[in-house]
Amino acid sequence: MKTGKKSPEEQNTTTIAKKKPLLVKKTPKTEEPELNPAKPGRSFWSGSITIGLVNVPVRLHTMVRDHSFPFRLLHRDDGQPLKYERVCSRDGRVVPWTETVRGYEVRKGEFLVFEPDELKAILPGSDKKIRIHKFVYYLSLDPVYFETSYVLVPDRSEEAYSLLLMALQELGRAAAGTVTFRSKEYPVVVHVYDGALVLTTLRHEDEVTPPHTFPSLSSLPVPKETELALAKRIVTELSGDFSIRDYPDHYHAAVLALIEKKLAGEKVVYEEPHPEEAKALMQALQETIATLSGK
Amino acid sequence: MAGREEKEEVTIQGLTRVHLSRLDKVLYPESGITKQDVLLYYIRMAPFILPFLRDRPLTLHRFPDGAGTEGFYEKDAPAGTPGYVDTFTHWSETAGREVHFVICNTLDTLVWIANLASLEIHTTLSKSGTYDTPDFLLFDIDPEPPRTFDDVIAAARIVSTHLGEKGMRPYVKTSGKKGLHIVVPLEEGNTFSGIRDFAHRLGKEIARDTPWIVSEFSQSRDRGTIFIDYLQNARGKTMVAPYSLRATPGATVSTPLEWEELRDGVRPEDFNIHTVISRKRDPWREILEDRQKIP
Repeated sequence: MKTGKKSPEEQNTTTIAKKKPLLVKKTPKTEEPELNPAKPGRSFWSGSITIGLVNVPVRLHTMVRDHSFPFRLLHRDDGQPLKYERVCSRDGRVVPWTETVRGYEVRKGEFLVFEPDELKAILPGSDKKIRIHKFVYYLSLDPVYFETSYVLVPDRSEEAYSLLLMALQELGRAAAGTVTFRSKEYPVVVHVYDGALVLTTLRHEDEVTPPHTFPSLSSLPVPKETELALAKRIVTELSGDFSIRDYPDHYHAAVLALIEKKLAGEKVVYEEPHPEEAKALMQALQETIATLSGK
Repeated sequence: MAGREEKEEVTIQGLTRVHLSRLDKVLYPESGITKQDVLLYYIRMAPFILPFLRDRPLTLHRFPDGAGTEGFYEKDAPAGTPGYVDTFTHWSETAGREVHFVICNTLDTLVWIANLASLEIHTTLSKSGTYDTPDFLLFDIDPEPPRTFDDVIAAARIVSTHLGEKGMRPYVKTSGKKGLHIVVPLEEGNTFSGIRDFAHRLGKEIARDTPWIVSEFSQSRDRGTIFIDYLQNARGKTMVAPYSLRATPGATVSTPLEWEELRDGVRPEDFNIHTVISRKRDPWREILEDRQKIP
């Protein structure tokens, strides 16, 4: 597998010399941090949705991104980023990529060695097709199999695209099939979301543990009818429409605020209460916690 | 420095997750009351306050520079709100955007609120799950000079008598400023417009028989009158929570009272951060179980 891409090691060495001074700038205070939704991703795959003899040419765009912060690991003493190296577990020597080979551990410490060509030969070939086998009710799909979603946009095929979109939308169905990209074959569904055809890759069957294999689930007691009625009433009372906005990421907001503060040159110091102050608060907290838990 | 910054959550020996800061900051300059005193008050009073805050969207009135300044109202959970603080997302028509209200169901959240120098805590008259259904009816009774608190008491007694004649059991608390709040806990199924109309009719009835009492907003600033405000019975409007501190020079508390305690000569200032903490009684302890019908 030779590619024109740089190895992770090379990428690190190109950035290692840059040490930016800490930006100190005042940013205008906004009342709340802007939640900028994931921006339209670039297209990384194009092909067509194939249903029998019909083809709908599409391009695939990324749609989901992780919003965690890409913290780098630095050397505390000089602030330089650390890089990762492959080190031989026997002699501690750094091993370059060219001297590596893949192995599958059969028993502890025993490996079957695979040459790159051997693995390449069995990789599924991509034929640039999202092959649809059948149409299923969208609501019959269980989210346990969902992996990643991508937006499909028409590739000079607006009419065919629109036709498929409307048909699926009006029937409440999704198209199930397979696709191969990045040398991996995925089960997928193509469904309608927010006025677009969206492709969601699915987990393979053996990647998901069926919950019924848990022993404690095999002998669940049957609830009393009155209890069940009460439980159902509570569920009904708390019923509503799902909105993802009800569940903001507070930690993410806190990290953003911390970054803003540091950029503004503010020292972020967490002070611990002085002992005598803490004593009165501790006593009050202890007593209140005892009162509250005694209720 | 760097070592300290890593401690994101310093706790007082495992008693609270809240990161306490600037404990010796004076928040009531006229009486030298510090943030630590405010924290101690809210921690000690937590068993009494928490039931009234439970599941209610809060408005925080924060005074980072102490009472005597204007402070600012905060309906939206601020940036950096920690993960253990619950919020309730609601579309605000007035703000034209979604607001993430703080919900205070735990001691930690109450301590966090106090640590924000939110001297005052205001609650809606309905709970988050039933936002459009009020469970409190509120009469806000306020004097215009030269009327005094004695006149407020007299007006409150008249309102109480009228409610009593209709078979209702009203509860009373000081607002912590100049007036009194009369509250009737309600059964499920009321609308804000319904209870507002009821309160308005009752106010008009009283105003007709008592020349120095007014119940119309247009007359609310008439000199020498007592205003029975029914307009607070509206979706999203708030009432200062029972046992909340007020940002007054004397650190008064909006204090639930027995009707017998309302004798001539009693003053709102009698109920403050020092006296309320040692009160033996909790006149509102049964209010949440005493939900009543509007006749």
